[in-house]
Amino acid sequence: MIKSVLIFNQLGKPRLIKFYEQIGTTLQQEILREIHALVAKRPDTLCNFLEGCHSMGSDSRIVYRHYATLYFVFVVDSSESELGILDLIQVFVEALDRMFENVCELDLIFHFDEIHYILMEVVEAGMVIETNLAEISRAVNEGKQLIKPASEHSRLGIGALRGFV
Amino acid sequence: MFEKSLTDLIQGLRANKRNEADYIQKSLEEIQSEVQQSDMYCKSTAIDKLNYLHMLGYDTNWANFNAVEVMASPRFGEKRKGYLAAAQSFHQETDVLMLTTNLIRKDLASSNAMEVSVALDGLAQVATPELATDLFDDVAAVLGHSRPFIRKKALVCLYRLVLKHPEGLHALAPQLRERLDDPDPSVVSSAVSVICELARTNPHNYLPLAPRLYQLMNSSTNNWMLIKIVKLFASLTPIEPRLAKKLHGPLSQLICSTSAMSLLYECIHTAVVGDIIGVPLPVTDGVGREIDFAELCARKLVLFYESADHNLRYVGLVTLAQLQARRPELVVNQYETVLKCLDDPDLSIRMRALSVISGMATRRTLDRTVKKLMSQLILSNTIRLQPVASLPSVSNTEYSGKYSGDAADSDLIALATDATGASLVSARGSIVQSRQLSAAGPGPADSPEYRLLVVEAIVDMCTRQSYANLSNFEWYVAVLVDLVYTAGVDVGQLLSEKILDVTVRVRQVREFSVRLMRQMLSDGQLVSCATSGSSAAKVLCTAAYVLGEYCSLLPASSEDIPLLLPSCLDKLDGEQQATFIQAAIKAYTNWLRDVAGYWNTEIWELVRAVTASTMSQLSDLLAARANDGNALDGNTAVAELPLQVSSRLRHFVEITKAVSMVTSNPSESAPQLCLELHELFTAYELNPVSAAAQGKVPLPDGLDLDSPIGGPIPDTEHIMFPPPPPVSSEPRHRASQSSGGRKQRRGHKNEAFYLDGGDDVRHPHSLADLPDVDDIPVVQLDLGGDESENATKT
Repeated sequence: MIKSVLIFNQLGKPRLIKFYEQIGTTLQQEILREIHALVAKRPDTLCNFLEGCHSMGSDSRIVYRHYATLYFVFVVDSSESELGILDLIQVFVEALDRMFENVCELDLIFHFDEIHYILMEVVEAGMVIETNLAEISRAVNEGKQLIKPASEHSRLGIGALRGFV
Repeated sequence: MFEKSLTDLIQGLRANKRNEADYIQKSLEEIQSEVQQSDMYCKSTAIDKLNYLHMLGYDTNWANFNAVEVMASPRFGEKRKGYLAAAQSFHQETDVLMLTTNLIRKDLASSNAMEVSVALDGLAQVATPELATDLFDDVAAVLGHSRPFIRKKALVCLYRLVLKHPEGLHALAPQLRERLDDPDPSVVSSAVSVICELARTNPHNYLPLAPRLYQLMNSSTNNWMLIKIVKLFASLTPIEPRLAKKLHGPLSQLICSTSAMSLLYECIHTAVVGDIIGVPLPVTDGVGREIDFAELCARKLVLFYESADHNLRYVGLVTLAQLQARRPELVVNQYETVLKCLDDPDLSIRMRALSVISGMATRRTLDRTVKKLMSQLILSNTIRLQPVASLPSVSNTEYSGKYSGDAADSDLIALATDATGASLVSARGSIVQSRQLSAAGPGPADSPEYRLLVVEAIVDMCTRQSYANLSNFEWYVAVLVDLVYTAGVDVGQLLSEKILDVTVRVRQVREFSVRLMRQMLSDGQLVSCATSGSSAAKVLCTAAYVLGEYCSLLPASSEDIPLLLPSCLDKLDGEQQATFIQAAIKAYTNWLRDVAGYWNTEIWELVRAVTASTMSQLSDLLAARANDGNALDGNTAVAELPLQVSSRLRHFVEITKAVSMVTSNPSESAPQLCLELHELFTAYELNPVSAAAQGKVPLPDGLDLDSPIGGPIPDTEHIMFPPPPPVSSEPRHRASQSSGGRKQRRGHKNEAFYLDGGDDVRHPHSLADLPDVDDIPVVQLDLGGDESENATKT
C-alpha cells in the first residue's frame, strides 16, 4: 500500500501532499519536514530508496525521484516493489507532462487541484488502479470536458483580468 | 461580487512572500465570509482556496459543513472540490460525515460516470465504520457498472470499506474472484492488488485463488500486475510447498525473457525468498543450456549489483544477502565485487555490502576484509581519533606491518611501529595527510551507525564459530586494541568482553595480550578519558584485570603498581575500582616474589621504598574520600566508598603494613612473607566455566525435591480471614486450571513456608473462588411508599 504521496521543492515548500492514512494536519506538516530533511541532502548519485522514516511507522520506505527543482516522494510499505514504484513515479510525471505540455514547477503551483485529480486516476486510497498512460490521460480529459461548460459562465468577471497575469 | 479565485490567492501569496502569514490571515477571513454565501460557485471557490491553504498546514476543519454543502452541488466541477476537501481534512470523528451518507449514495447511483468515480474515491478515503456499513451494498452494486473505469475504482473502495466493516469480507471475496475474470485488464489488476493487500494478513484464505493467479501470470503482459502476483506468491509458498514446484517453470521463463528490470528483480527475489531455488529441477537458460535454477538467479543477480545504477545495486545487494543466507556457496566467488561496493559513497549500499561481506569471511579472506574495514574507520573525515601518546616500541614482528599492504593498498596505514620502532609518528603524519586530501564534508564512514556496524562485523567475523577463521591470535588481539583507538563509537563493552574472552581461552596469546594491556594502561591520554561508564573505562578495567591476572608472564616491574592505581581511579564506578585495586594487589605480590629471588641490600631498600610509596598512595585514596564527606557529619565520609572498594583497599593496606614490618631491618635473605604472598592468588588455576555446566552436574541419588518439608501446618488463616465459599462445579472461563491443580494449590496455601507462584499466599480468595455474578441474589427493593419512612429513620 502507498501511504503517502508528496511533491515539494528544494526548499521544502509543498506542491502536493496526499496522505492515504488518517493523519492530523500538524503531524502531516512534521512528516513533510522530516522527509524533506532526509531527501534534500542526498546528491543525485545515491540510490533513491530510504528506510527509517520514524513518523510514518516502522514498515515504511521512502522512494523518491528528483526532477529539476522538485522531489516526488512516495512513502510505501513493504508490500510494494521499490523498482516498481520508481517506474510508477515516472508514469505519473509523464501523465503530468501530457496534461500540461512540458510541465514545470509553476504549473504545479497554479494548478494544484488538477494535479490532485490526475493523481486520483493513478492511485486511489493507497492502491494503484492504473498504470497505463493512455488510460490515465483519457480519464483526466473526460473530467475536464465536464467542467468546461460550468466554469465558463461563472468566470466571466475575472477572466478579463487574467490577461494581466 | 469580486472575490478572489484560487489563482488570485496563489498569486497573492507569491507577491506577499515577506508578510505571508498576514496575507493568509486576511484571506482566511475573506474565505470565512465567502463560505457563508448561498451562491454555490462562491462557496466552492472558497473551499478550493481552503484546500490549498490546508496543504500549507492551516487547519480547515471549521469549514467542514460547508465542504459537505459543496459536495452536494449538482455541478461536477464544484462537487469535485468538495470531495477533495473532504479527503484532505475529514477524519474518523468528523461529525458532518453522518450527513454525507445519502449524498454519497445519490452520487454512486448517478448516471454520470465521473460523479460516480469522484464519490468512490472520496468514500474510500474517508470511510468510517458507520458509512461503511450503510453504503456497502451501494458500492457492491456499482461493481457491475458497464464501464471498467468505474469497476476498478469500486473494487478498491469496497476493500477500504471492508477494513472498517469486517463482516463485508464474505461479500467481497466472491466478487474478487469474479473480477479476476473481468475482460478489462485494469480491473483485473485492481483485483490482484486488493488480493495482495488482503493476503498480507491472512494468506490462507487466498490460496484457492492461486490457480487463477498462476494462469494470469502466464498470460498477462501488464508488468505492474505481474510484479504484484509474483510478490504474492512469495508469501504463499511458505504455507503451500507444492506451489514452489509449479512456479519453478514460469518463474524461470520470466527471468530469462523479461526486459523490465523491476519484474526481473521481483522474480529473482521471490525465487530466493520463497525458496523456489530449493526445488531440484534444472531449467533452461536463455541460450538453451540446462543449469541449476539457483545458479541462474545468481548469474542474473550479478547484473544488478555490478550495475552503475545505484538503485539496482542496492536492491541487488539486498537479494544477494538473502541468497547468501540460503546458498552461501553461490555467493562466495563474488568477494571482489562486493568488496568494491564497500567503497560506495552511498551509506545504504555500504551497509548492505557489509552484511554480505561479513557472511563471506573465511580464513583466507579475513585479513583483507578486516584491513579494508579498519582503513575505512581510520580514514574518516570528521571523527577524531584518540591521540596516541608515544608508545614504547614493540619488538614483536607479528604486530608490526599489520596494515601495510602491497603497493596497491598504499593508502592504508601501518598503525603499528615497524621493526625499527620509529615510524609511529610518521604513520600518524600520513593519517593527517590523507585526511586533508579528502576535504569534503562528512562521508558515510563518519556515520555512527555505520561505524558501529563495522566494529561489530569485524568482531563477528573473527569470533565466529569459536575463532574458526582466525589463524593468528596475536593479530586478532592487536586488531581489538586498535579498535579501541579508532572506533569513535561506544563499543567499549564489546571490545573488553572480546579481549577477555580470547586472553582467557587461548593460552598462547596471553603473554602478548598482557604486554598490550600494559601499553594501554601506560597511555596517559586514554586513561584521562576514562570516566565512569565511558567506553575507555570498560576497556581499561579489563586491561587491569588481565595485567593483574597474568602479570607473572612478563618480567615483573614495580611500575605496574602505580599503573594499576591510576589517577582516574576515583572517577570510576565501584566494580571497576575494585578490579583495579585487586589487580594492583596481585601485581605487588608478584613483584615481591620476583625480587625476593635475588635479594640484597639494594633490593631491600627498593622494597621498602616501593612499599612506602604504595602505602601513601593507598592512604591518599582512603583519605580523599574521607574529605569528600559532609563537613557537618564526619561519620558518613568513609561510608561513601563502596564496600568492595574499601574492603580491598584495607586488605592492601594490611599487606603493605605486614611487608614493611617484615622488612624493617635489613636481612640476608628474603623474608618468607615476600616469597609466599603471591600464592594468595596462584594456589590453583581457575578455568572458565560454561553456562550450561550446572545442568550437567548429576543429581545425587536419593535427593527428593518434591515432597514437602515437615507436615502441613494447621490452618491458621481462618482466624484472620473467613474461609472461602465452596467452589461451584460449573465451568467458568476464569477458572483455567484443572481442579486437581487447584486442590494442590489450596493445600500449599495453608503452608506459609511455601512460595506459590500466584496470588494465593497474599489473597485468601483467588479469582476463581469468587462467586459468579449470577449467584448474587437479586433482592426486590420496594421504594414506592417507604421513602418517608426511610427519611424519618435516618
